[in-house]
Amino acid sequence: MSMDRRFVLKGMALGSLAGLTLGGALPALGAAHGSPRSSAARPALVLVNQGAEQSAFVQGARATGAAVQVRQIGGDLTDLLSLQSQLGSGRKMRLIGLLDDASAALVVDMARSAGARVEWLGQHTARGGVTRHRLLNTASAEGCARQLGRQLHGCGAGFELTEERLGSAAPARQLSAAPRNQRHADQWAAGIGYLLGSLGAGRPTAAPLIAQAGAPLDGSFVSFSIET
Amino acid sequence: MSEQNNGVLPRGVTQQEFNAAVEKFRALLGNENVLVEQQQLVPYNKIMMSVENAAHAPSAAVTATTVEQVQGVVKICNEHRIPIWTISTGRNFGYGSAAPGQRGQVILDLKKMNRIIKVDPEMCYALVEPGVTYGQLYDYIQENNLPVMLSFSAPSAIAGPVGNTMDRGVGYTPYGEHFMMQCGMEVVLANGDVYRTGMGGVKGSNTWQIFKWGYGPTLDGMFTQSNYGICTKMGFWLMPKPPVFKPFEIIFENEEDIVEIVEVLRPLRIRGIIPNSAVIANILWEAGSGNVRRSDYITEPGHTPDEIQKQIQKDTGMGAWNLYAALYGTQEQVDVNWKIIVDEFKKLGKGRIVTQEEAGDTQPFKYRAELMSGVPNLQEFGLYNWRGGGGSMWFAPVSEARGSECRKQAAMAKRVLHKYGLDYVAEFIVAPRDMHHVIDVLYDRTNEEETQRADACFAELLDEFEKEGYAVYRVNTRFQERVAQSYGKAKRDLEHAIKRAVDPNNILAPGRSGIDLDTYKS
Ligand SMILES: Cc1cc2nc3c(=O)[nH]c(=O)nc-3n(C[C@H](O)[C@H](O)[C@H](O)COP(=O)(O)OP(=O)(O)OC[C@H]3O[C@@H](n4cnc5c(N)ncnc54)[C@H](O)[C@@H]3O)c2cc1C
Repeated sequence: MSMDRRFVLKGMALGSLAGLTLGGALPALGAAHGSPRSSAARPALVLVNQGAEQSAFVQGARATGAAVQVRQIGGDLTDLLSLQSQLGSGRKMRLIGLLDDASAALVVDMARSAGARVEWLGQHTARGGVTRHRLLNTASAEGCARQLGRQLHGCGAGFELTEERLGSAAPARQLSAAPRNQRHADQWAAGIGYLLGSLGAGRPTAAPLIAQAGAPLDGSFVSFSIET
Repeated sequence: MSEQNNGVLPRGVTQQEFNAAVEKFRALLGNENVLVEQQQLVPYNKIMMSVENAAHAPSAAVTATTVEQVQGVVKICNEHRIPIWTISTGRNFGYGSAAPGQRGQVILDLKKMNRIIKVDPEMCYALVEPGVTYGQLYDYIQENNLPVMLSFSAPSAIAGPVGNTMDRGVGYTPYGEHFMMQCGMEVVLANGDVYRTGMGGVKGSNTWQIFKWGYGPTLDGMFTQSNYGICTKMGFWLMPKPPVFKPFEIIFENEEDIVEIVEVLRPLRIRGIIPNSAVIANILWEAGSGNVRRSDYITEPGHTPDEIQKQIQKDTGMGAWNLYAALYGTQEQVDVNWKIIVDEFKKLGKGRIVTQEEAGDTQPFKYRAELMSGVPNLQEFGLYNWRGGGGSMWFAPVSEARGSECRKQAAMAKRVLHKYGLDYVAEFIVAPRDMHHVIDVLYDRTNEEETQRADACFAELLDEFEKEGYAVYRVNTRFQERVAQSYGKAKRDLEHAIKRAVDPNNILAPGRSGIDLDTYKS
């Protein structure tokens, strides 16, 4: 018998942003290029979909100051098989990414086969200026969800965020806020790029604001941080 | 050495007991094969079901590399009453993925037992270990230029024959009913015995992969979709590569055409004119696997209205139903059967036939042709991008291969799904007499309300179909207990009597297909 969902839900802290201490004002627009985080952020291979090499997520990852190499995943899912052999090659690799559902399902399961570690797994939907996030995290991503929530709130974007810590006895965390403005619609992706880019390099901090380029991201995405 | 720190324990097992078992696993398998850290376990927990991940969180995962190690694992589990959930390649997307059926179960991941033990190109069979993927076998066959071909599930490149057959999965060639083509299993039982089915118990036998039945009771089937043993080797038959392969598609414009399609198709399948597990995919399946996204057309929540579906048809040339089948053999054989098929569909006066020459490299024709000819690919994962959101559960009722029945099931499923604001994304996989009516219940897991809706929808699908005498052939782990109930008490009593006899400590995958000594009450 599988655990009844009500049992799990009952234990959740139905938190809201009212319970969060909001940090100071967000860094100025464009700061992504001006003040990279001079930290120990480690090099990473960044996986994004075709055409997203300048996306908010990549900008966020670059803003960590770490050396990032961007690989775009094209439409032919079978091409991902080359990643499988890379993951399984025994070489040390750090992968972060924001991908469509299909590609990400494959990448994450290939990571499992390769015996890789996954520190962060996020499911995201962006629609009509509101974003929803469901995170499955580990202790090494402690504080990231809170930081992301704070940042989303700071940007004025409406969002819902649920964080489950794998196996943690602590209740799942839920945060939400109504939208106040649309000026920084893609900041959520930059924030995640930044958080994942700097995972393991000290306390998570806010990503610099990125310049909103073009139409806001719309659709469903999966973010991850994988290490072999 | 890291301690188990993820806070998840098997049902009824204390931390102390669990730690003792983990220490023994480490001594048996080596540290690197005992995964207890959160980061190591996250990838085992990307479930797509309508329930919190916590409900299917593993307490640990262990990987074994030999049959003796599997025996050792079973011994430790008996000593400490640790339940284990076995996976082979672990790609059971939409049925529970690689996650255990119940929270806290230890995953026994056999991915490292990945030897291709034998491929006999004359007798046309293979004998493999559980971790072997179809992709690996395909490469082996290509590298050795062997005149045989594979049949596999759509996640072909990365899934494997043992796991797929243990869950009684299907493929798209004439050998598409995989359990029917299985011949000879080696199973580690809960008491540590190694049992070989069929001819496998006969010393020196060379017919283990040749003759299925052996002598006396034939037990292979009882190890599939069950929790009576751990399969450590499996034999299965391979189809000789035909000199000519001719895939084709027939496109039908209207939803109601399903009745006539099936009525024309069934005799062709029963007579063997169309030899393979053909497929009739509806417009949304076709669109999803052909890289079309719902958001290209509509962003409003709820089901995709019929007008939009018609618009997709118009824009893409896809049908309301899309039949894919293939012919195999010599040119003469293919020509004769092709003429029969063309004549039959001409008589019907409906359906636009598309050949490979006409389709070229377009999707979804290309991947369908590959699946029907044993060439692995991953194209069908495009379904996950149709709506997005990471929720996917297969609802797969069995239907008679009769037009009126298929129409009835399709209408019922569509009505229930639409009631819950979800799409009818479906295909019929056509055996001679039955259809696997496979529906992908896709939803957004970031949306708590939609997730609950999907959960209620799945439950209602099961209820409504059951009222009409229908049941699914396989289900995700969230609903396995519910589905077991559809199959009746006598069956369940017998299954639990067998379980008590072969696994009295209830260590092998408790809950699998509703078989669980701790919770079942006759
Ligand atoms: C886009 C898409 C298309 C799909 N198309 C198909 C399809 O065409 N046909 C189809 O059948 N499925 C299909 N699936 C579902 C699924 O992905 C496949 O069936 C896949 O082959 C199952 O994963 P696997 O082969 O890795 O088996 P595993 O995940 O390794 O095993 C499946 C289950 O079998 C049992 N098991 C596995 N190994 C053992 C063992 N050694 N001993 C005892 N029990 C064991 C366990 O309960 C396990 O959970 C599809 C999924 C997706 C996402």
